[in-house]
Amino acid sequence: MAQVGTRRLEGVGGIAGARSRPRGRPFRKLDDSRFFPLVLLLPILIFFLIWNVVPLLWLVGLSFYRYDLTSPEPARWLGLDNFTAIYNDAQVWGALGRTLSFMFFSVGLQTVLGVVLGLLFWGSSRMPGRRLALTLLFAPMLLPPIAIGSYWRLIYDPIFGVLNYYAREIFGQRYDFLGSKDYAFPAAVAVDVWMWTPFMILMTLAALASVPKAELEAAEVDRLPWLKRLWYVVLPHGKFILMLGILLRTIDAFKTTDMIFVMTKGGPGVKTELIGLTVWRRGFASFSMGAASALAVIALLIAIAFTSIYLYVLNYRETRGQFR
Amino acid sequence: MNATARIRQGLYYAVLWGIAIVFFLPVLWVILAALKTKKQIIAKTPVWFFEPTLDNLQRVIERENFWKYLRMSVFLSLGGVMIALVVSFLAAYCFSRYKPRGTNFLMFLLLSVRMVPAAAVVVPVYLMYAAFGWKDTFLGMVLFYAMFSIPFSLWILKGFLDGVSLRYDETALVNGGSRLHIIFRVVLPQVKPGLVAAFIFNIIFVWNEFLFNYIIGGKSVTMVPVQLQAGVNSGGSADWGYIAGLSTIYMIPPILAIYAFQKYLLVGMTFGTVRGEV
Repeated sequence: MAQVGTRRLEGVGGIAGARSRPRGRPFRKLDDSRFFPLVLLLPILIFFLIWNVVPLLWLVGLSFYRYDLTSPEPARWLGLDNFTAIYNDAQVWGALGRTLSFMFFSVGLQTVLGVVLGLLFWGSSRMPGRRLALTLLFAPMLLPPIAIGSYWRLIYDPIFGVLNYYAREIFGQRYDFLGSKDYAFPAAVAVDVWMWTPFMILMTLAALASVPKAELEAAEVDRLPWLKRLWYVVLPHGKFILMLGILLRTIDAFKTTDMIFVMTKGGPGVKTELIGLTVWRRGFASFSMGAASALAVIALLIAIAFTSIYLYVLNYRETRGQFR
Repeated sequence: MNATARIRQGLYYAVLWGIAIVFFLPVLWVILAALKTKKQIIAKTPVWFFEPTLDNLQRVIERENFWKYLRMSVFLSLGGVMIALVVSFLAAYCFSRYKPRGTNFLMFLLLSVRMVPAAAVVVPVYLMYAAFGWKDTFLGMVLFYAMFSIPFSLWILKGFLDGVSLRYDETALVNGGSRLHIIFRVVLPQVKPGLVAAFIFNIIFVWNEFLFNYIIGGKSVTMVPVQLQAGVNSGGSADWGYIAGLSTIYMIPPILAIYAFQKYLLVGMTFGTVRGEV
């Protein structure tokens, strides 16, 4: 009897438990039934259906319609017109290009800075007050992006901003960081770099922790030069986690909306308008839901592509990685 | 250890501490602003040393609806994450033990949707909520946040459950334990770290969430970030003392959480896909 239960457990679907157990108690009947796995899945399927499938279908459906919340007209079928309109829309391409360069610069800088500082923090395990220091270091990435945006409005302020004071001390002039065409974009990138470099430090530390101690000791014994040690011993083990970190940051940088929204609202002009903000504006400033949906579908496809790459690398690490 | 080595080590630690403080400086500046008078905040020469005043904090607390918004932040994040944990623990157990067809695909889809820019997801969710009359209701908001927290909870719990040997389930089954007994008494205690990590980090994510609360929420379910945004974008000259005070109060819980649960930081920030400690 017991063996039957054991064997069935490892099978795929059904899990009829032992038949001879006392019946009558309500839960027994349920958890002996073949439907038990389905019962476990039911809540998540309901959530998935209502909050993912329905909005997704709604979104895709709507992207073929003209549907303005401001006009009394009912939704009108447009076919692919929304998409061709986006294709011909310089503003959308501009926002996409800006988002890509935002991702490139901020993720690139974060990675370089994060790896360098992560290596610096490598030997810190016995540092006094390490936990507090790391709390201060990691705080930026876990504070509300809305709050982050408002801090930097205060810090960047052209009149009483603290940064401007020191800029004037050093360079002899004031800068309107968020209001000027030349500086607004780099200023936004700088905030993102500040906020997320700690994340890349975290990933670098994780990558370093994944290097087997024995190999590091062997390198020590062989007196391998420092750079060679990194290249031949650390990198082969650490590259997967580092790669995952870069990909997660790429996905996340693509999403950046809140921080920009509160800091510049995309301005001056469209200098800091990223794609998330464009979708938001189409939807909730001009209320043309059809056009916004079409744009959202494109954003969705891009996000799915990124996630696929991420999971591919994750899977690769798990099936073929040298560690774990 | 000789003297030079000790000095070198001391210097090294000092540099690390310096880096940590530099990263915290902008946050510190806001905390300082919360303790300054209005004149000191907008002084042309930055004021670093001053006699702290609690006026701003007091003003924040006494502002109409402050407690209401804060309570909403607490209820929505706790409620949403609790629901998400129950739902995703059951699902993760099923995925891990019975491996139904489509497991990987469903987990992939859930994670992808979580990775889409919020602004893109909010369009259909807004239309759905408006059509069903769920806008500005507590239930609508809390269930949305549950969905918001499910992908991450599912990924992290599935990872932890896969690490719990099937032998436990078998032994309990052989000894006559019921399925529910196995799930909640035998397996659950072993994935406690996963539950804690999912709980803490999802709470922080919901706590910080702005866009959905702004669009599909309303007067009765407003959380603090929406209020903060209103303060900053109020036009004219923003009341920086109030904004600094409000965000200082609001960021205390996340900072305490980072301190207390630092070992879960890695798993938390990678949505449960990378495990380990730093």
